Amino acid sequence: MSHSDFFLCRMDELAEGQARGFDPLQRGKDSVFALVHEGQVRVYRNSCPHLDVRLEYRKDRFLSADAQLIVCYAHGAQFLPSTGECVYGPCLGQRLDALPWRLEEGWLVLEMPGSTALSGPVEVSRLAIHRIPTRD
Amino acid sequence: MNILGLDALIFGVDDIQACTDCLRDYGLAAVAVDSNGGRFEALDGTAVIIRRSDDPDLPVAIGPAPSIRETVYGVANAADLDAIEDELARDRQVTRDGNGVLHSVDDMGFAIAFQVTVRKAYSAPDDLTNAAGHAPQRPLNQPGITLEMNATPRTLSHVVYFVPDAAKAEAFYAERLGFRTTDTFIGAGPFMRPAGSDDHHCLFMIQTPPHMKGCEHFTFHMGSGTEVLLAGTRFEQKGWTSFWGPGRHLFGSNWFWYFNSPLGCHIEYDADMDKHDDAWEARRAPLSADNSQLFLFNSKEKWAPGGPPPKHG
Repeated sequence: MSHSDFFLCRMDELAEGQARGFDPLQRGKDSVFALVHEGQVRVYRNSCPHLDVRLEYRKDRFLSADAQLIVCYAHGAQFLPSTGECVYGPCLGQRLDALPWRLEEGWLVLEMPGSTALSGPVEVSRLAIHRIPTRD
Repeated sequence: MNILGLDALIFGVDDIQACTDCLRDYGLAAVAVDSNGGRFEALDGTAVIIRRSDDPDLPVAIGPAPSIRETVYGVANAADLDAIEDELARDRQVTRDGNGVLHSVDDMGFAIAFQVTVRKAYSAPDDLTNAAGHAPQRPLNQPGITLEMNATPRTLSHVVYFVPDAAKAEAFYAERLGFRTTDTFIGAGPFMRPAGSDDHHCLFMIQTPPHMKGCEHFTFHMGSGTEVLLAGTRFEQKGWTSFWGPGRHLFGSNWFWYFNSPLGCHIEYDADMDKHDDAWEARRAPLSADNSQLFLFNSKEKWAPGGPPPKHG
């Protein structure tokens, strides 16, 4: 399967219990985020399964205060960092979209699947009610 | 029962600092705020109050922190409190705390409270429009806007709940507390105003599966649509994540702009809401993009012709 590589950050810039958002497609809004939880790296698409909206309340703030859960700060959905499974909230039982990555010379490299997965028209949501293509 | 509207919303949170930053950046004034939380006031004294989620003085939480813990309504006087106490005590526990505040629970399990209102008079500029074909509202030579103009939340406007049974919830507020339904989204729920307020709604409820029960958002009234756009622009520039807006709702006619927040629900700016009395006939419409707003925009970084090309064009 084809993919595009994006060098997100050096691994030593990702700390245990912290998350970082990235804007690999230069959209002006972070479309993926990475975190280290119990020593394991995870990279997820920044899109809540409930409404396909961004999770964070501000830059890099994707986690609960104790860093034990990923939280969608739109409606308070909570996700397990290790699997992306929603354990509380509107999308209970659904999962965040985990993205493949690799380590290369100390860098965290996102292997963005396909060439169109995140490169369609900019929308706030895949749902019809939230569909707002940009005008330009 | 002369319920005037919302006096305060109380949240139990897991990150006091983040919530403090959020509510200050939103434009509320911090009153007696420390590491255990505090009160964040609009110009008229209505407020959002945050506490640590394990604070034993808070009503029981509906879900995990952060979450709404109590909705406090203001009434005109002590006789109104007595009437509410008599009515609710017929079938549920009602307690009165040391400050004379009544505490009880609605039919969905949301903690509700009632107090003689904290709302006070305040001074803030009018929104003066020069509409062609009418006498100008602004004096000659008075600019309508300035770069430094104020955009401060004026009064707590409304709260929105996710509820598992909107019909039962509506009946409780209508029959037990004297609320009127102003409009209804079919399949979602009612917009309601208490008898002592002419605002289109101070409570809107959306029917959802039971596991979603909780607060969807709250908002304070700004002075105008311009103030919604300005305050939202400044809030976004401080790094807060826009969720929906800016735009203008159809039911209620209020301008809106919603943001994510560390309080576990959205925080909104609104302005210029319709006013109603009992002569109004409630409308009913299916919830759709067209029915929920007249128009919707996305903000973008400031740009002007002649300068560098717009970012993320």
